[in-house]
Amino acid sequence: MKKGIFILLILSIFLTGCWNRRELNELGITLAIGIDKSDDEYLVSAQVVVPSEVSMKGGTGATPVTLIKGRGETVYEAIRKMTKGMSRKIYPGHLRMLIISESLAKEGIGDPLDLISRDWELRSDFYVAVARDATAEQILNVQTPLETIPANKMFSTLKVSEENWAATVGVTLDQLITDLRSDGKEAVLTGILVTGNSEIGSSKQNVETITPATSIKLDDLAVFKEDKLVGWLTEDESRGYNGIVNQVKNTVGTVSCPEGGKADIEVLHFKTKVKGIVKNGSPEVDLQVNIEANVGAVECRIDLTKPESIKILEKAYEKAVEETINHSIISVQEKYETDIFGFGNAIHRSNPKEWKTMKKQWNQHFTDLAANVKVDVKILKTGTVNNSVVVKRKD
Amino acid sequence: MGFFYEKNNNQLEPPTPSKNPVKEHKEKQTLKTSLQANIKIVKATLGESTDIVIREIRIGNKGTLKAGIMYTDGLSDAPSIQKFIMESLMLEIKETELESELTPNPKLLDTIKDFALTVGEIRDVTDFDMLFTTLLSGNVILLIDGYSEGMTLGNKRWAERGVTESTTQTVIRGPREAFSENMRINTALIRRKIKDPNLWMESRDIGKRTKTNIAVMYIKGIANDDIVEELRLRLDRIDIDGILESGNIEELIQDSQMTTFPTVYNSERPDVVAAAILEGRIAIIVDGTPFVLTVPALFVEFFQSSEDYYQRADFTSLVRILRFFSFGIALLAPALFIAATTFHHEMIPTALLINLAAQREGVPFPAFIEALIMEITFEILREAGLRMPRAIGSAMSIVGAFVIGTAAVEAGMISAAMVIVVSITAIASFVSPTYDMAMSVRILRFVFMGLAASFGLFGITVGLIALILHLCSLRSYGIPYMYPIAPFNISGQKDTFIRLPIWKMFTRTPLISQENIKKQQNPASAKPGPEKDQ
Repeated sequence: MKKGIFILLILSIFLTGCWNRRELNELGITLAIGIDKSDDEYLVSAQVVVPSEVSMKGGTGATPVTLIKGRGETVYEAIRKMTKGMSRKIYPGHLRMLIISESLAKEGIGDPLDLISRDWELRSDFYVAVARDATAEQILNVQTPLETIPANKMFSTLKVSEENWAATVGVTLDQLITDLRSDGKEAVLTGILVTGNSEIGSSKQNVETITPATSIKLDDLAVFKEDKLVGWLTEDESRGYNGIVNQVKNTVGTVSCPEGGKADIEVLHFKTKVKGIVKNGSPEVDLQVNIEANVGAVECRIDLTKPESIKILEKAYEKAVEETINHSIISVQEKYETDIFGFGNAIHRSNPKEWKTMKKQWNQHFTDLAANVKVDVKILKTGTVNNSVVVKRKD
Repeated sequence: MGFFYEKNNNQLEPPTPSKNPVKEHKEKQTLKTSLQANIKIVKATLGESTDIVIREIRIGNKGTLKAGIMYTDGLSDAPSIQKFIMESLMLEIKETELESELTPNPKLLDTIKDFALTVGEIRDVTDFDMLFTTLLSGNVILLIDGYSEGMTLGNKRWAERGVTESTTQTVIRGPREAFSENMRINTALIRRKIKDPNLWMESRDIGKRTKTNIAVMYIKGIANDDIVEELRLRLDRIDIDGILESGNIEELIQDSQMTTFPTVYNSERPDVVAAAILEGRIAIIVDGTPFVLTVPALFVEFFQSSEDYYQRADFTSLVRILRFFSFGIALLAPALFIAATTFHHEMIPTALLINLAAQREGVPFPAFIEALIMEITFEILREAGLRMPRAIGSAMSIVGAFVIGTAAVEAGMISAAMVIVVSITAIASFVSPTYDMAMSVRILRFVFMGLAASFGLFGITVGLIALILHLCSLRSYGIPYMYPIAPFNISGQKDTFIRLPIWKMFTRTPLISQENIKKQQNPASAKPGPEKDQ
């Protein structure tokens, strides 16, 4: 009898039902969320996948994603209000991109990000980007070729471009929050541009031509001071930034040959070490950059069979990298006065005591900070041929 | 509830020796001196069954002795009765000088036994109990008028299946023969593999009406004496009408009834049983079935096939790992799928999630019900396939494959991914070399599906913990079921998840064979290869 009651008790656990159970066809799988602000209200748009249009079987020819919008005084309210226009609840567990409009970024991103980082359904490994000269909604309203889901296109573009060109940087939510909370580093985000007619962009027409009328493109980095956007870097400065924060995986650099013309250096390995020092009470940083590279292309007359020519190229590239890095540091110091490079953290690590006094006025210290850049380039290989085809013919 | 439970309780208890066994015959009835009286009793008891042949003859000096021969038609060999019993007694004896001694005297029976009968197996019969048992087993009974003692002459012969190929445990490499229904042939098949004087055999008849002959075989000195004693106890306390198959014995002697896992191993392959006996296990051979039981049984034993030891060790190790992996799939695949698609969407890669979501569009059932429908359909097909006449079997499998595979998906009732999951589960469950373990997994799979549908991965984890606790609590004849995994034994690992080469396995599984655990005496010279010059 006792045992019978015990079994009944155990079985009663199952009677509670399947709480939190959601079948796959009850999910509004959202891969991108855009946040705009107008008239003191947040306008949140969610790019929701239409699964049957994406699957292998091929759908009815409708668009692979749909854009749901909601308005509210807070982001959370806006997201919940979306259910007024959609049969499924937003499921952001697989979110790939979070787009913030430039105007909102200028006001400050701290408040809207709170929900995004607090909600348990969201992972923190999606990219955050700023819509440049556009609203977030406009960015999410463009169909893309190759990747049928635009959010996926942005995600992969960021990833591929970061790994191969190194002028953009994919900032995930947790990185962004770390930067925002950190005293010794300010945040940057990649900008996203929409080019062309955004009317056509949202229709299927856009992907029916070889050259899409409207396309989404990555832009340079947006510089933040605390949680507010203060300006944009140029492409060169963006590359310099990536070099300083040691985020270059693979890139291509161009150098001038001694006798005119250009040569390309393919960077295979890029390693930057930042070391903070305090000299006479003023902070300085030493940057040691080690690069291993190949000769990628030669568009000038230089005899690559000679070791001296390799030396010349190495020296030239060292100089180019040094200039790029110095230029980025100086322009950020002059224009924005915000330490996006994390030099403060370097000082914190090397001189924790001095850092305590400096950290309150760090941005002022940063403006006057001297950076000693040392670049060391090693060219390992010259590719599958020795000299340029042009050189050979003339011999 | 209470009443139902108490009623059930009696059935669930393991077999206990009944303190007052009810005897069928109140007392042993001894044979009468008069032949006629004896024949009368036999006829009366057997209800004058028509297959009992009773022949009265006269033997001895000038036919002074009246004798009766009885046998069961069909179980005894009639030609040899005529040749070796009747001819010997009636004709050949006349050519010897013994005939004069064949007069009523106290030594008559011994004289007949010693000089007249050209039959191998002769035993004395004094009571009717034994008379009937031996008569109905196929022996010939010889009674002589004036003596309250008779003889039973071994002369069994009946139609039976010979030694054929194994159908339940097939191998690519290894002996093909399988046990048959005749216990004598079965014990002979084992004897033929182990020619050791220490291979001992004990017999007993179990079943008050079937009197099924059961033999217990083990190697004295390797088998653990305590386990042998325990087995004897458990066999002796069986009090039942009939034993028709070794499965009946298995249920009556296993340790725990409250488990889905088999704690007694069975095989129809003589080499498997011989190997078990060599390890120190005890074989129980039941007359009338080709399935021989061995105890004690370990969990890992059900993942070992006899072929594992006949083919290369490296390959076997991989196959072993594959089997344990398949066990996991067969147990958990549908449960994990249900949990991931209803609770843990974030665990599925984005592309796959969208793909699965697309398949689920328009499927009317929740994932759990969907899985349940498919699993039950599959179980129905499997069960139907087993019991059908073979000729219809193929037609059924076509219908089954068509219904499960295509129609259900095309009709939009089931998502294609679920068909894949259920199929892989079904195939994985067939990887198990023993049917018993596969059945156990079949039951538990549904439990895990229920847990996954209610609590997601959390439920599966709780279920797995409970399962592991349960497995660790099981015992087979006092040996921990999970041995040598838990309790861990390092030398036992040589033949658990992987199999080392035979020249590396020096000892038998400890615990099972407590004495004499060494298999190979000299490890140094056990490694094969050319002699090394030193």
